[in-house]
Amino acid sequence: MKIAVCVKHAVDEAELRLDTEGRPVLAGAAGKMSTFDKNAVEEGLRLKSAHQGEVVVFVVGAAESKKTLKEALAMGADRGVFVAADPLVIDALRTASMLAAAIRRSGPYDVVICSEGSSDTYTGQVPPMLGELLGVAYVGYARKIEVTGGSARVERSLEDSVEAVETSVPFAVSVVSEINEPRYPTLVQIMQASKKPIEELNGGEIAPPGTISGVEVVSMSSQPSTRKHVMIEGGPDEAAAKLLDALSREGVLK
Amino acid sequence: MSGDVWVYSESEGVSAEVASAAQDVARGASAEVRVVDIGSPRQGIRGSGVRLLLKGPSGPDVSPAVAAEALARAAKDLSPVAVLLGATRDGREAASRLAAKLGVGCMAEVVKLASDGQGVTGERNVYAGKVVAKTRCQFPAVVTVKTGAYPRAEALPERTQEVEVGQVSDRSKVVGREKKAAGGVDLRSAKVIVSAGRGVKKREDLSMLEDLAVTMHGALGCSRPLSADLGWLPEEHHIGLTGVTVKPDLYLAIGISGQLQHVAGMKDSKIVASINTDKDAPIFQASDYCIVGDLYQVVPALRRALSARR
Repeated sequence: MKIAVCVKHAVDEAELRLDTEGRPVLAGAAGKMSTFDKNAVEEGLRLKSAHQGEVVVFVVGAAESKKTLKEALAMGADRGVFVAADPLVIDALRTASMLAAAIRRSGPYDVVICSEGSSDTYTGQVPPMLGELLGVAYVGYARKIEVTGGSARVERSLEDSVEAVETSVPFAVSVVSEINEPRYPTLVQIMQASKKPIEELNGGEIAPPGTISGVEVVSMSSQPSTRKHVMIEGGPDEAAAKLLDALSREGVLK
Repeated sequence: MSGDVWVYSESEGVSAEVASAAQDVARGASAEVRVVDIGSPRQGIRGSGVRLLLKGPSGPDVSPAVAAEALARAAKDLSPVAVLLGATRDGREAASRLAAKLGVGCMAEVVKLASDGQGVTGERNVYAGKVVAKTRCQFPAVVTVKTGAYPRAEALPERTQEVEVGQVSDRSKVVGREKKAAGGVDLRSAKVIVSAGRGVKKREDLSMLEDLAVTMHGALGCSRPLSADLGWLPEEHHIGLTGVTVKPDLYLAIGISGQLQHVAGMKDSKIVASINTDKDAPIFQASDYCIVGDLYQVVPALRRALSARR
């Protein structure tokens, strides 16, 4: 089974600094593998251990994105494909078109796995767009994937229900974090990862921009906290009484 | 008929919310709102205007794949300036597929929609809610509207225009559907939410918080570790970026450290009160009332004080 996993080198929101005007400082901001992408890599590795084959990891982004590729390789993926593009300029559809072009070049793949959304911008758009652009079946928000021969049964986790879906190979899928517990690479695996091959492509070349203007970010600003930050002092009973008094005054106690 | 703003959601309630957002876009674009049904007509709310029925797809359920294909076919004929969908899980998928089919930009989970006549603008949270991004997309555009952000429109169309789009097939087939067991709790509509975090040491101790929630006529929620990692509560209780987004009158965070991903799901609450042993816990930055203390002492004290007051 040939398995493609798409990952993102996301801005680490916990480390993200704001300038004096409350704008995020994105140039040189610390990055990390998007949180839920670890579940996508893990699911790829699990499918490989059940069905043999190969796990190839794809990333679109700036040069630092190769760190995230290496992390996926340390977890056990076989090789990586790095697609160079400016993450601050491209929108979801551009990202998906670059991923689709890169996947086509080294494909065909039986399964293409993404996580449901990135931890930094969380649009959740790239996975279904990728399914469309690759022209394969797509199933979103999977919490369980079982592949048997040429078909697959997937459990989709929706807001209020779980949907069982049957689809056929090849297919693309996005996974939710409940699907598995991602493994931690060992030191040896981390060292071995640096020897695994990474192919480098240019996003603008493999997927020319065309005429779509896409979604642009006009401005970004932090939300000023409007919370009161009242520290309630005293022992448990005193603090409890003071809190209830305050909540009554706010009119939020039923 | 070209130049309209279309509204679609698989949920009629969400569809009515999206219709409100669409009115803001239509005003700026001098366009009309058209609420779309696919396959068979839905009831809707009475008012003046036109409902668009895309005929062809059959069956009781319209999957995101079918919705996207039907909308794409109709859009190629009728050229709406914008198609707005609700940002449910199925809605996000349908919107993304539609944008890919039409080759147009797709704005995700926006609020405060407007139009300058040439495109759509809207705001959305990024970086786990730390930052608000103002985004813009030229017409024609696909947009998902954050659920719960707009009131349901009251004047929805009463006249129906039918458009034949032909049979639409899905490569995947739904073979089963089960309701998630949330214990009858709907966190989205709860006025009071008591929410449990990693500070709760044992699963059994949740009953203490549940009891507090019941006393306060509220519902029990939790942060991600309790549902996803420990499995102490069903995931429907998970409040946060990838879980439920809530905005109760009172959010009582108990033993929750306050990671950005959690705050993203509750920051629109009217009043937030928190109990945590760590005075530097980030949850206090997102709180109106803060108690630095042991939940195992403060929660029983709260319970006693509440009983004494009733």
